[in-house]
Amino acid sequence: MIDVKNLRKEFKKTIKEPGLKGSFKSLFKPQTKRVVAVDDISFEVPKGEILGFIGPNGAGKSTVIKMLTGILTPTSGKCEINGKNPTENRKSYVREIGVVFGQRTQLWWDLPLRETYSVLKEIYEVPDDRFKSRMSFLNEVLELDDFITSPVRTLSLGQRMRADIAASLLHSPKVLFLDEPTIGLDVVVKENIRNAIEHINKQEKTTVILTTHDLADIEALSNRIVMIDKGRNVFDGTVSELKTKYGQIRELHFETEERNAAQALCYEKLFGGNIGGLTLEQEGKAVKARFDSSVVPVSEMLAYTLSRINVTDISVRDADIEEIIRRLYQQGVSE
Amino acid sequence: MRRAAKIYFPFINAGMQEVATYRVNWIFYILGNVMSCFVSYFIWKAVYSSGGGENLEGFTLPDMIVYIFLMFLTSTIIGSDASYVVGEEVRDGSIVMRLIKPVSYNGTFLFQELGNKLLTEIMLLVPLVVGVEAVRAALMGGIQFNPLSFLIYLVSCVLAYLINFFFNICFGFLAFVVKYLWGANLMKACVVGFLSGTIIPLAFLPKPLEAVFLLLPFASLNYTPVMIYIGRYSGLTLLYYLGLQLFWALAFWGLSKFLWRVSVKHLTVQGG
Repeated sequence: MIDVKNLRKEFKKTIKEPGLKGSFKSLFKPQTKRVVAVDDISFEVPKGEILGFIGPNGAGKSTVIKMLTGILTPTSGKCEINGKNPTENRKSYVREIGVVFGQRTQLWWDLPLRETYSVLKEIYEVPDDRFKSRMSFLNEVLELDDFITSPVRTLSLGQRMRADIAASLLHSPKVLFLDEPTIGLDVVVKENIRNAIEHINKQEKTTVILTTHDLADIEALSNRIVMIDKGRNVFDGTVSELKTKYGQIRELHFETEERNAAQALCYEKLFGGNIGGLTLEQEGKAVKARFDSSVVPVSEMLAYTLSRINVTDISVRDADIEEIIRRLYQQGVSE
Repeated sequence: MRRAAKIYFPFINAGMQEVATYRVNWIFYILGNVMSCFVSYFIWKAVYSSGGGENLEGFTLPDMIVYIFLMFLTSTIIGSDASYVVGEEVRDGSIVMRLIKPVSYNGTFLFQELGNKLLTEIMLLVPLVVGVEAVRAALMGGIQFNPLSFLIYLVSCVLAYLINFFFNICFGFLAFVVKYLWGANLMKACVVGFLSGTIIPLAFLPKPLEAVFLLLPFASLNYTPVMIYIGRYSGLTLLYYLGLQLFWALAFWGLSKFLWRVSVKHLTVQGG
């Protein structure tokens, strides 16, 4: 369905030296630098899958999405969707896809929302009866009725996002690209939007590619994650695979009378030279130690801790996916 | 053809609604144009009264006044914001929202602006023409209105608008290279104002220069329609200038298609 191979995108970037002098210099003799935004990314998405596309800010997610939607031309590499090359025949290609950029809108700013849908109906040549049933379906899933007659510029962000998603689905696209569809929304609206995406994916076997910073989106929706960082592919697999691969992180919580637990415990001894991921936070009595259980097993960690200081109320917890990803982002993963 | 009409009609409609939504802005825009028209009127009055003679290069003061008002009328009809709009969309990156739709990029702009124009024309054309004719009648003594010239003038204006639109689109694509067009737009307005005869009639220039300027596309914008309106072009000359207009319209249409193809490959989307 979607086949991406060795995709690469370079930009030329003007570098300006700081200050007024630098501004003058760059006005007359701009210096440019090659920036590799996407470097050798490959993945495949079968029909009907929801793929979560994640990575820290500036990782190149949006650039990949823009290449997949035919907006940017790749510097090299191949991407093929339904056997079509997005940049080769833009007009016929974009008929088969729906796109939502969370930070922009495709709705007609000054017209009542309903007008946008009738414009799209003509653009995509949706027959009258199909349009009617489609609208009532989208109405039901995304609850557009309350504001369908209001001009778009008067809609709230949550309403606008629902309206935008409906607009991208009007022509029953085979692939739906959602670039941060839940950005800036409250919990209830996020939940609504997730439900709608899930519903449409189940009902119509729409392939969905979703980028987000909200990992709850990923956990609720996607069977699979592709994670990129600095333009490179760093992980491709299911959520549970991510947890087993990077999820050896455990948290040890306990309370102690010890003023300076870190000093008293001196975990460095236990971990030897391999203290990757080890952190210790103390707040009054409560101590939280995070460690990698593939380096030191949980039982050993417990025994060691209990032998060094007096503790009460001790427990061990799994790190959640958010924690894993935070760690990955901070370290800048390399394979 | 019918399908194209169906697709692009909503854009015309949207263009009209834009004018209706931002009425006050529109009124200020028109008022601004009227004022600058009167500024040139007073300047030329001063020039003539300071003793340059009754007749400058075949233009008497009444001729000049009519010329100024006709230039204003023509600019209102053929004006195009395309380079500004394209420049803004490139600058803030909203151009991507047009790219993800199966429609022609230039087409959406053209029809949106046509809607905008249509509403402006419906409301302004009759009063402006009546106004210009009233001034003309008062200055020249007796009604000068020639329906045939007026009709040809309208045809010429349509061609001029198309030249202007596609020229502006081409110019707007510069934004792909320089990213922000505000400065370039100011420069363009100044150069085009001079070359198109809006500031001074091209007939005032030295003959060789005039000959060159008349060939350039800018003379086809304002100067040709105005000359047609006041009946200075007729017969073969008239056909020649209409043909030249058609040529430039097609040339810029082709150029805009070509530039689009080249520049879209170099698109970098600004702002995420």
